[in-house]
Amino acid sequence: MTEPAAHTWEGPTMDVTLKIWRVDGDGERELKTYEVEAPEWACLLDVLDIIKDRHDGTLAYRKSCRMMICGSCGMRMDGRAILACKERMKPIVDSGHVPVISPMGNLPVIKDLVVDMSPFWQKIRAVKPWLDPGYDEASERERVVSQQQMNVIRKESLCIMCGCCVSECNAMEADPDFLGPAALAKGMRFVGDARDHDEIDRLNSLNDEHGIWDCTRCYFCNERCPKGVDPRDAIAKLGAESIKEGIDHDLGAKHAKWFVTSAKTTGWLRETELVPKTQGILGALKETKFALALARRGKVPPPGPIHVAAEVDQARALYNLVKEQGRDGALGIVQGERGLARIEHVEAEGARRDASEITSGEEPPPAEG
Amino acid sequence: MKVAYYKGCLASLSAKELDSSTQALAPKLNIELDELDAVTCCGAGDIHEAEPDYYLHLNARILAYGEQTGADTLMTICNVCTLNLRQANWQLKNDDELRERVNRNLETVGVPPYSGNIEVKHLLWLIAEGDGYERLKEVAHKGLKGLKVAPFYGCQILRPSKLLGFEDPDRPHSLEAIIDACGGEAIDYPAKIKCCGFPIIQAREATALGELLQPIEQATEAGADAMVTPCPLCHLSLDAWQSKLREATGRDFHMPILHLSQLIGVAAGLDDSELKFKRHVVSVKPVLDKLEV
Repeated sequence: MTEPAAHTWEGPTMDVTLKIWRVDGDGERELKTYEVEAPEWACLLDVLDIIKDRHDGTLAYRKSCRMMICGSCGMRMDGRAILACKERMKPIVDSGHVPVISPMGNLPVIKDLVVDMSPFWQKIRAVKPWLDPGYDEASERERVVSQQQMNVIRKESLCIMCGCCVSECNAMEADPDFLGPAALAKGMRFVGDARDHDEIDRLNSLNDEHGIWDCTRCYFCNERCPKGVDPRDAIAKLGAESIKEGIDHDLGAKHAKWFVTSAKTTGWLRETELVPKTQGILGALKETKFALALARRGKVPPPGPIHVAAEVDQARALYNLVKEQGRDGALGIVQGERGLARIEHVEAEGARRDASEITSGEEPPPAEG
Repeated sequence: MKVAYYKGCLASLSAKELDSSTQALAPKLNIELDELDAVTCCGAGDIHEAEPDYYLHLNARILAYGEQTGADTLMTICNVCTLNLRQANWQLKNDDELRERVNRNLETVGVPPYSGNIEVKHLLWLIAEGDGYERLKEVAHKGLKGLKVAPFYGCQILRPSKLLGFEDPDRPHSLEAIIDACGGEAIDYPAKIKCCGFPIIQAREATALGELLQPIEQATEAGADAMVTPCPLCHLSLDAWQSKLREATGRDFHMPILHLSQLIGVAAGLDDSELKFKRHVVSVKPVLDKLEV
């Protein structure tokens, strides 16, 4: 290793210490520590550049725009997926913490911090990420799309396809074929586009085995997305659009619909009937042994008089009222986005990241994709 | 402190032990429960996905009745209720136009309008706020005798932190501090913030079991005597579906799973008629033996 050159930055500098998981082409890996001088304005990507330029030219990572637009520099810091160009290092250095940098999860590692994005792109391609306007010849007059219509897919349109949501998707860890948050958010971006004429075919395809109803609602995707896409909400919009269009053959859709029936008939979930209503009578019979084991512990309330909430007629009347007002499908979720966008507590007091001792996440999980 | 107590579906049905232990523990923590009875299911994420406009109205109705009690806080004992109610609350508080429309509908069916003046907080947060840990040291007079407890947070009390925001979603500490204050030893393991698989356990059982395996396997390998969770859905998954892990992996973990209120309750000397450990699928006896209860 050559002696680093003297720094060339104007202004104050800081000493940054990083640990990076180095992975070679054969899958051998080693946690290496780097101590470098960097300007105080440096982000993680700047520090990686300094390491590569002045200390160790063999370090591999992706980058391009340096300004949160291109989506190239997704990686993990202390086990959570981030964009290297978005993470300022000064507060971390000031806290005395030494962050551990590793490649994203749920994708095969090629070298160091570079993952193979092919499975990611295959899933994006599978949702037909292009507009199908339903005509071949352009009309003579422009087709005007209102702001309200575009609001349905405002958040989904922000995706830069960095893969941070996919990195931590818990359902994909258990089912690698799950389309996943990025592809499903892209699917919603076209399902919800007023100019697209392929909504029903798209929804049918997204209702396949590894689609919408595979999502386990762990909300890691919303937590990690650096652009505010909120992929989990996009998946909920797809579920709502599917049920609105009568595409409800999947067990997940039947499960969701049973909650609606429960709320408007008894108020509380009709738990004992949930299995037969979701899986059908045959599916429920297969579960008999398991159900009996639960019943012995009082986990399956016996059939009989159903527990009914007080004033449940109000819940039923509310259902009929909102159905008349026609905010079905994705619109029911979109209407709440304005309120959620006004949450101001995040920077001030929410989402505290105050623990300097790292326990979880230091060891990168296996990433066989 | 008086709170509007929303116990949700599971604590009324398959997890009655959660309700009874919460009711018994609350007075010791100076929490006065004003139980809401004219309320419904929050929708559990399912109504949000199937009929989102109905989800918003059902949750607005719960919030409105919570506000009618005069309490500042609506207390939940389930992660999923917490997220659903907090999400609806932000939507209604931050958007006058939306709240006015929802209120017109509520009033049409005879529900008082919601003015946006109640905060939704989980029991875990109420304990972890202020001098909660100090108070707990007095309440938990029987202690946990160094019991090794693996905290399992579950998803929807941590993420999305924009809507929950009580603590660092990646390195939460409230459960560890409670275990510590009760005289137990908190076990650390990476999957403590991950998903138990419950939302898809009926529709996609294999995937859900793949998720469920991680925390139980890691907690076992880290030497835990028991796991504790603030969520009855996680509890059902970890406790009742553990037998299915045996079928799927050939491994029998025998890991006792405690509700948060049971863990504190047993340390506080609550009676078995309140803790109702016999309602668990995986036996809690090894824990009780260790604690000499």
